[in-house]
Amino acid sequence: MRVNTSEVKSISSPTLSTTAAWWRRLQARLTRLLDDARFFPLLLILPVLLFFLIWNVIPTLWLIGLSFYKYSLISSAAERYVGLRNFTDIMKDVRVWESLSRTFIWVSVSITIQTILGGMLGFLFWGSAKMPGRRIALTLLFTPMIITPLAAGVFFRFIYEPTFGIANYVVRLFGGEANFLGDAKLAFGAVMFVDIWMWTPFMILITLAALGSVPKAELEAAEIDRLPWSYRLRYIILPHARYVLMLGILLRTIDSFKTLDLIYILTRGGPGATTELIAVMLRRKAFEAFELGWSSALAIILLLTAIAFTSIYIYILNQNSKRQGVTS
Amino acid sequence: MNRRRRRQTLYHIVLWVVALIFFAPVLWIIINSFKTTSGILSTPPQFIFKPTLENYPDLFARQNVTKYFTNSIILSSTSVLIALVVSYLAAYCFSRYKPRGTNFLMFLLLSIRMVPAAAVVIPVYLMYVAFGWKDTFFGMTMFYAMFSIPFSVWILKGFIDGVSPRYDETALVNGGSRLHILFRVILPQVAPGLVAAFIFNLIFVWNEFLFNLFIGGRTTTMIPVMFATYLYNDGGWDWPFVTTLTTVYMLVPIVAVFVFQKYLLTGMTFGTVRGEV
Repeated sequence: MRVNTSEVKSISSPTLSTTAAWWRRLQARLTRLLDDARFFPLLLILPVLLFFLIWNVIPTLWLIGLSFYKYSLISSAAERYVGLRNFTDIMKDVRVWESLSRTFIWVSVSITIQTILGGMLGFLFWGSAKMPGRRIALTLLFTPMIITPLAAGVFFRFIYEPTFGIANYVVRLFGGEANFLGDAKLAFGAVMFVDIWMWTPFMILITLAALGSVPKAELEAAEIDRLPWSYRLRYIILPHARYVLMLGILLRTIDSFKTLDLIYILTRGGPGATTELIAVMLRRKAFEAFELGWSSALAIILLLTAIAFTSIYIYILNQNSKRQGVTS
Repeated sequence: MNRRRRRQTLYHIVLWVVALIFFAPVLWIIINSFKTTSGILSTPPQFIFKPTLENYPDLFARQNVTKYFTNSIILSSTSVLIALVVSYLAAYCFSRYKPRGTNFLMFLLLSIRMVPAAAVVIPVYLMYVAFGWKDTFFGMTMFYAMFSIPFSVWILKGFIDGVSPRYDETALVNGGSRLHILFRVILPQVAPGLVAAFIFNLIFVWNEFLFNLFIGGRTTTMIPVMFATYLYNDGGWDWPFVTTLTTVYMLVPIVAVFVFQKYLLTGMTFGTVRGEV
């Protein structure tokens, strides 16, 4: 890194240099080295590899190592090698399975709602090019997804607050009483509502992008032919929009699978364990129960799941770019 | 003609209403930040009230608030800048030299960002404790730089791919050094990519919470951690403080998205989907 920046300076201002001859020779040698077609790419990629090594390879190896040990931060007992025991313990743990199925419900329901709602609203916003104040309106619309989940959590703590919150105020108008985050029956839905509020705008954005990728000429042809909308959707819009939509849904799935911040601030997994998704459980086990060996084993399982999802994502991405490469 | 115009207006009104519905919870917090404590806590909620500005000076008079704000600004900007330099070099290499394993490395980089944070935080925490990096600016900055690199590489590679290699060849033939090509020929052409990568990584780091909570500490705390840990005030939440703090804190991403709306799609999809809306 340092070599690079100093080189830039000296190259950009060669006339100003009043350096000694040896320095110039060193510089020449460095430049020659930089112009070496084998060395230069290596130099470019070195910083990233260094980062990758220190902040990814080491922690990952550490994680794998830990997963074979019984290791707790609070007990004074030394860590003990237990082989694959942590993994078999996780497999047998009912709470893990409950949490996983809860996560599965969370992901599938919230993504379905976000996709349908976002898709419909995206359609609605298609053709809003001449809308007055479009830029402001879109900024307002997209605000939920770019503020920190912590802030979103804070908003809804405020809105769901049983005594002075506006949600319960509305419920009271209809003669009811609801403690959205404290009631075991309501909490899951209430938290999911926040997630839907946050991420539907993302699906709107994706839908708009997907619709933008449909060729104008084909749409105009359909308009002239007075093709029914159901046909336009099926034969013109979907074939083109499919890839971007799929990428969006997959990205949301991966993201939703690891929801943590939002729940941490809203309910911390409670009441009971009704909102304890897998990432929340992992955090609790690691940093409240301090069972690091067990948590590492669970983390490895999640890691592999995430990598599997990512490879599907990249596969679709490649298919998409190949297809675009052919058409354009 | 007139009827079409009226329909158009109606359509625009509907769109505005949709946007406002999504913004409503945020707006409610902003409104409440202009109320007094008793105004916030009143039941039923007050919709009409006399606005007060007193919460804002109170906010900055608080201990640590300015410090945590400074932390947020310093940590997010320096880490993203470091990430941009590193990623630009790597992206150029991936785009032009296509070393063996480029696809695999790009995949690995993206998968880093797809992994649940809770799974990564355990080993990083232990590593930081062992190396003595916990709660240091170096540790936090470098970690966030790592956090920003994958997305920056993806987006910058896309942009560099869009610049024809002819530029490189021409410059080389005319006697330009490789560094000249890198920083004088290609860099200006991918400036929009750098801006997009900068803004969106800034927002992601600005919003980050979990790592800051576990590998940060007193000296490196940013505002989101403050929400989660420091806001209890005799058993309840200190609402005037919370509402003002969130209002001020979220101004940065909102303004960023308003100004850089063109890049929103690229930003929110980690540079994997390109285009504008």
